[in-house]
Amino acid sequence: MSASRHDLNRSLSGTAARRLRDARARGDYKALIDAIPFARFLGLAVVDEGDARRYVMPYRDTHVGNAAKPALHGGTVAGVLELAMQLETLISQTQPRLPDPVDFTIDYWRAAELADCHVAARVIRAGRAIAQVQAECWQGDRGRPIAFARGDFVLRAAEASALD
Amino acid sequence: MTDSIDKSDPVVRGKIAQRFTDAIPHNRAIGLTLISAGPPDVHTRLAYREDFLGNVKAGLWHTAIATTAADSSCGLAVFLAMPGMEAVATLDLRMDYLRPAVAGRDLEIVASCHHVTRNVAFATAMLHQGDSGRPTARCTATFMRTGGSVLP
Repeated sequence: MSASRHDLNRSLSGTAARRLRDARARGDYKALIDAIPFARFLGLAVVDEGDARRYVMPYRDTHVGNAAKPALHGGTVAGVLELAMQLETLISQTQPRLPDPVDFTIDYWRAAELADCHVAARVIRAGRAIAQVQAECWQGDRGRPIAFARGDFVLRAAEASALD
Repeated sequence: MTDSIDKSDPVVRGKIAQRFTDAIPHNRAIGLTLISAGPPDVHTRLAYREDFLGNVKAGLWHTAIATTAADSSCGLAVFLAMPGMEAVATLDLRMDYLRPAVAGRDLEIVASCHHVTRNVAFATAMLHQGDSGRPTARCTATFMRTGGSVLP
């Protein structure tokens, strides 16, 4: 299969394409988040920063894992990292729907304080069927990340869309 | 005193495990419940909620909520495998998403601690929705021993 054929398959048509294009043009991804119950559950937001996007999980009392330390539950940090990688793949690779994760790995570098979490995600390689993605999470100081994650996601040709 | 706790006694394990899971606000928020503390394995359950969906149209759980359940369950398995009341922290964790978890059905988590060294502990968990022969995910995690107690 030629590269141009892949590009064709990757391209979007109809409502899904229009919505994703509009979201990118306006830098407003709220509709994308609203379509994912678990993203809403974590309170996830996408901040448009021109060339890149920043994914934010605002602090909530229900995210606490250790009240004595205190620290956020590592699962919430993993959650925002995985969602950020998934959404970044959806947006940057113009996927017809949220790409399915194959696997996910997280390294915890520092305890998560009771504060907002910020994530930057990057698609390292997008092949015919799989995208390999990395992401980093920080809180107050971008230079002191608290966690790193990598994951693989299934890429799909444009078809019926969950964004419709 | 804490060193005299017999963590091989199922009743003791059950009591400690219940306190351990109840003391974690996020576990309460998602509704993670303890089914059995073993020994040897820790069995927890996450009841289905629409909040946990990733794909509404297809009716599938989001995979990331499984990560939280696996992290908590492996942490408990490790805690029960160590002497005393030493706190642990997740160092790294990997999830393999074997098949999708479907809406309307609970998620079962079976976690085991395989080995404890001076500094770390190794754990795995299998996740399924009623048929352990058809797992939805597999978790591998490494925990760091903190040296501190979970008790204030």
